[in-house]
Amino acid sequence: MLEHFSFRVIGQYLPLFLKGLWATCWISGISIFFALIIGVVACGMRLSKNKFFQKLAGIYIESIRSTPLLAQLYFFYFGLPSLHVNLNEVQTGILALALNSGAYIAEIVRAGIVSIPHGQVEAATAYGLNYFQRMRYIILPQALGVTIPALLGQFIVLVKDSSLVSLISVLELTRAGQLMASERFMPAEGFFTVAAFYLLIYYILKYLSNWWQNRLIYMEGH
Amino acid sequence: MIIFKNVNKWFGSLHVLKDINLHIHPGEVVVVCGPSGSGKSTLIRCINQLEPIQKGEIYVDGIQVNKRSTNLTKIRSEIGFVFQQFNLYPHLTVLENVVLSPIKVKKVPRKEAEENALRLLERVGIPDKANDYPSQLSGGQCQRVAIARGLAMNPKVMLFDEPTSALDPEMIKEVLDVMVELAQEGMTMIVVTHEMGFARQVADRVFFMDEGQIVESNTPDEFFDHPEHERTKEFLSKIITHN
Repeated sequence: MLEHFSFRVIGQYLPLFLKGLWATCWISGISIFFALIIGVVACGMRLSKNKFFQKLAGIYIESIRSTPLLAQLYFFYFGLPSLHVNLNEVQTGILALALNSGAYIAEIVRAGIVSIPHGQVEAATAYGLNYFQRMRYIILPQALGVTIPALLGQFIVLVKDSSLVSLISVLELTRAGQLMASERFMPAEGFFTVAAFYLLIYYILKYLSNWWQNRLIYMEGH
Repeated sequence: MIIFKNVNKWFGSLHVLKDINLHIHPGEVVVVCGPSGSGKSTLIRCINQLEPIQKGEIYVDGIQVNKRSTNLTKIRSEIGFVFQQFNLYPHLTVLENVVLSPIKVKKVPRKEAEENALRLLERVGIPDKANDYPSQLSGGQCQRVAIARGLAMNPKVMLFDEPTSALDPEMIKEVLDVMVELAQEGMTMIVVTHEMGFARQVADRVFFMDEGQIVESNTPDEFFDHPEHERTKEFLSKIITHN
């Protein structure tokens, strides 16, 4: 079987794959950045005492989590222009990925926040820290700490989900594989290479998360 | 310094503080004791409004704290609070625990805050632990850090909510020693505790609470030697036979 596997053609297409890899990385990176902000804000709204914010965040989180990402992507890609909002493919992809991941991150962070003993929040309150200072200095650093494995899982999901933007003709890793497969009729080589590159990203993320967690464990001295 | 006027508090339908009136003077050390569920923790938690009250007025240094227009942050930064469970921030070093509020709330420059924190850690007897994390300390050391954290705000009053109840017996003394010293230096203190030795040694007054009321308030000698109320006698007999 392997004698039919053409490494030579993979080599020829390597520049295209690297271009796709780079696109996947930066599209995912920017999406993760916005997803984190959206997630933390949505989580803050959901935990706030204001009923309106609570409801709004609830509707956002529920509607994202109950619908497929592909449907969301198509909604933004085909739906927004009909509402006279014009974004290019990459912007649409980032918007969809960030909004989608943000909803999951909101729930992950909420679980982390709820796990912080209430006594610490009381202590911070008693020592004059306001809501934002308590979040910034006491709750979030710890909540993000305990949620790292779950957040990392979400980052990996986002990287993999970013392959869906190939369907709105953004050139990224999966799209590069599609191009190779269709131009040379070599789907095995094309998608094998795609998979290998996703695996590479996965291992880098996993390594970073282990490093970060070890640092936290050292800090907490367990 | 601290005044309660007809303070009432309910948790749902449970009436936990019933018409409390009290007046605590600057420099006074007051020990609050009583059976569990009598409202003693709630009483001191109302002072810095960790618990809101439904009726009555509470004044700290002339300012009514249970009013919407009051700047709670400012009042809280003048009240040190020591919790039963320490409630240190586990992700920060001892030094960071102590300097956080001075820097962020009182806007003290970091260098000055750190120097002050090191002095306070020296005073509570653990200057060498500044860069450790709370999980590396014993319970007694944690509680002394918590006291240093309270003192770092340069408070006008220190509140203690059962500061030794969560400690192993051999660590109680090291914490009480710090508190005794603090009392002798003239700090205004309200201490919820069952450490009767401490009460006898430094308290100016002892309050006995039961079912949301201050049943008895007296000097320690009178309180221990000639308790007036039946319930006080009963309570003391239970505590003293166990000592």
